[in-house]
Amino acid sequence: MFEWLEGTSVAIWVAESLWGYPFMLGLHVIGLAIVVGTFVMRDLRLLGFFEGIQYDSLDSLRKLGWAGFLVNAVSGCFLFSSQATTFIHSTPFLLKISMIFLAAIMGGVIQNRLRNEGTSWGGAGAAAGSVRILASLSIALWMGAIIAGRLTAYL
Amino acid sequence: MQAFVQAVEGSAINQWVMGSAWAWPIMEILHFMGLSLLLGALLVIDLRMAGFIRRINIVATHKLLPWVFIGFGINLVTGFLFVMGDPARYTANIGFWWKMILVLVAGLNALWFWLKINDEMKTWEPHADTPAVAKVIAWVSLGCWFGVMLLGRLIPYIGTG
Repeated sequence: MFEWLEGTSVAIWVAESLWGYPFMLGLHVIGLAIVVGTFVMRDLRLLGFFEGIQYDSLDSLRKLGWAGFLVNAVSGCFLFSSQATTFIHSTPFLLKISMIFLAAIMGGVIQNRLRNEGTSWGGAGAAAGSVRILASLSIALWMGAIIAGRLTAYL
Repeated sequence: MQAFVQAVEGSAINQWVMGSAWAWPIMEILHFMGLSLLLGALLVIDLRMAGFIRRINIVATHKLLPWVFIGFGINLVTGFLFVMGDPARYTANIGFWWKMILVLVAGLNALWFWLKINDEMKTWEPHADTPAVAKVIAWVSLGCWFGVMLLGRLIPYIGTG
């Protein structure tokens, strides 16, 4: 199946055209900055940093964050297709995908709790203890995804 | 430039960067983390300064500035080490020079922000629209930093003389 994917015309375009691969990499770094940047800022706020900015106001960036996520899911699929048989056997790559999957779930859970309980946290200081744990996990997963993603090129 | 490359190659710092198999990937990881912090904090500040997401209190956005500086600091140090590690590659690369020019423009734009807006901002309505000058500074900032990222990522693919 991964051999078939690698042989499709799209995968060959990404792998062999002059600008296919760099174009997708360019999109991938922009999407990374948007999704990791906005989600980590929200998480840092929940941990008690930059008080004065309300939690729920920062949560209004969530659509932008998910847009970055989508850009990277799409560009990531293109990049994957070009070397599918290599990536599917790469431990750092599989770790990266698992961590992104968990980070996305974490993002959804945090958003839900913000929507349902956020106003009762008063908007000052740090969030409730259990939300702080979720926020720390979210930051750790995104940083882990960056580490594993970079190491995919080396290991 | 030739003299610079020759001076750097063989220096202790050059040997240190190139001597360990792990130095380069670790620096790349830190560079990506730095850009996430820099861009994450800037997105909030600049989008608000451009007049969007007015639920965010614009007077409080200055509290994000330390995170911009942390991200920039990480990337300044790791970026300097990249150049020290492989000076011939970077100095011959047109993408690298355009990236540096954009970083410089972003720096001058930040200076403009500091001189023109930083103090005045404290008196602004927290959730109101922003003046035109703030919008210009915000868009120049976002344009520069996204350009910096894109050029940085494409350094391996463009114009190595």
